[in-house]
Amino acid sequence: MGKKKKSILLVSIAVVVAILFLMPLFWMLSTSFKTDTEALTGGLNWIPQNFTIENYTYTLLGEGLNVPVVRWMFNSIFAGLVGTMIIVSIDAMAAYGLARLDVPFKKYLFPLFVSTLMIPFVITFLPMYMQFSNLGLLNTYAALILPYTANAFGVFLLYQFFKTFPKELEEAAKLDGANKWQIFIRIVVPSAKPILWTLSIFSFMMIYNDFLWPLVATSSPEMRTIATGIAVMQQGSFVSSYGKLMALTSIATIPAVIVFIIGQRYFIKGVTQSGIK
Amino acid sequence: MKNSKWSQFTSFLFVLPYFVMFVCFLLIPIIYGIYISFHSWDLLSKDRPFVGLQNYIAIFDPGTHLNSVFFNGLFNTFKFVIFSVPLLVVIGLLLALLVTNLPKKVQGFFRTVYFIPYVVSVSVIAIVWLWLLDTNSGLINEYLSVLGLDPIPWLTRIPYAWISIVVATLWWTIGFNMILFINALNEVPEELYESASIDGASSWKKLIHITLPTIRPVMLFVFITSTIASFNVYGQPYLMTRGGPGNQTEVLLMSIVDEAFSQRQLGSASAMAILMALIMIAISVIQFRINRASEEGKFKRKNKKGVGVWAKRKNQSF
Repeated sequence: MGKKKKSILLVSIAVVVAILFLMPLFWMLSTSFKTDTEALTGGLNWIPQNFTIENYTYTLLGEGLNVPVVRWMFNSIFAGLVGTMIIVSIDAMAAYGLARLDVPFKKYLFPLFVSTLMIPFVITFLPMYMQFSNLGLLNTYAALILPYTANAFGVFLLYQFFKTFPKELEEAAKLDGANKWQIFIRIVVPSAKPILWTLSIFSFMMIYNDFLWPLVATSSPEMRTIATGIAVMQQGSFVSSYGKLMALTSIATIPAVIVFIIGQRYFIKGVTQSGIK
Repeated sequence: MKNSKWSQFTSFLFVLPYFVMFVCFLLIPIIYGIYISFHSWDLLSKDRPFVGLQNYIAIFDPGTHLNSVFFNGLFNTFKFVIFSVPLLVVIGLLLALLVTNLPKKVQGFFRTVYFIPYVVSVSVIAIVWLWLLDTNSGLINEYLSVLGLDPIPWLTRIPYAWISIVVATLWWTIGFNMILFINALNEVPEELYESASIDGASSWKKLIHITLPTIRPVMLFVFITSTIASFNVYGQPYLMTRGGPGNQTEVLLMSIVDEAFSQRQLGSASAMAILMALIMIAISVIQFRINRASEEGKFKRKNKKGVGVWAKRKNQSF
């Protein structure tokens, strides 16, 4: 087979696979612009017969609907952003300290942190529920944010980076009389920007998309995240209103896809680096 | 001059914020969870007596409710792992081979398209597939009826319920494995292929004798991480089949959540959770051991033969 023929064949296969991958998302969007009746009568209309944005106005503006979808979106984005800022700050400091500074017991601390990457989530979520319940902090932003900040992935990722960071830059700054904190802020952080972006995007996605923890940690309608809110709707008042459900899932998907497309380069780098162990 | 105690103290301040979070939201929960598992812990009652190992004993005592719930969940989780992991590895590798063999210009585009479902949350995935697989008006049964086939009850009959959960999971997470494989494939040294081409090796032989052995460590890594991820399955069966038909797709994590929040028995739920975690840790340790043992075996063989397997292989005709 000629080289050209071969690549035409491969590209055709790739296109067919791509259509299979995108079909569920297109069908979601298509259904979200149909009336519930048109959705339920079935058929293969990829383009809605009676194009309507009613599903979006109904779920977002909530006339006659007693669930705050906009609030759910805010909760998810807010928890994602604040959680990401905390994770990136404390992980960068800890990783730099462990990789470069004279932290006492660092020989034991780093392995202790990293070994928890082996510990499955299932072991912590019930006692964490009790902890937040004891403190009266269920249904708060604290519950939607803080548990993620203990994840050692970021410390592990950044530690690898700081270990290979050239010492000369730090030493030059030290000679100029800068202290550890100034060196960290002025020299180390700026040069670590790409890897900090990688961690940021990963952290945002983790918090924004998480399902089981926010499902158990929140029960009041105002404090749901979008990922858990749509699940509640699917099992509740929207049970067979597929037009409205697909509008909700489309709304939920948009921020994640935007973040991914903006930060794609960093995100894929992060996946790659998670494989270096 | 600053003394070293002071320097150590200021250095520790860098680690302190993370350390506090680590203690509060990882160390304490682990210990607290073990503590809870030794109690009869009713969520609604203030009286939570110490019962020792009774929760664990009940799990292993045939005939108790806890025993049947735990082992039904564990068995179903194992089923899901066995159905999904081989496909996650093999299809992930096939997609990566497809992408890396495409013309350079379009590689990035297809990589992105295949990866996109991964950035969506599990509840979106599950609800979209619930809709696609709907028995009466779902897209897939509509296409089947165009072909003159009867509608299939995708979510309410075995084995279809498992097929649905596995397909939705593949669609959702395969992109992650694909990226790991693409990276591994790009790192296979070009010289290996070149010398094989000189020997007139076919693409298939190059794949079997060069590519696969070289990326073997990544394959094992993908295998281990996919196993762990599949063990944690929850959202797909919870939303798509609700554990049904009957409780035939009720996975262990669902049983644990149900025991904790529907039955309100946090003590026995914690015992189940700890056992599940121990099983998962044991499986990953075994997989790592097998991995290391086979790596060492390969190394020894190489050393015994002195020159290394590759040099010898190079002179064979492919």
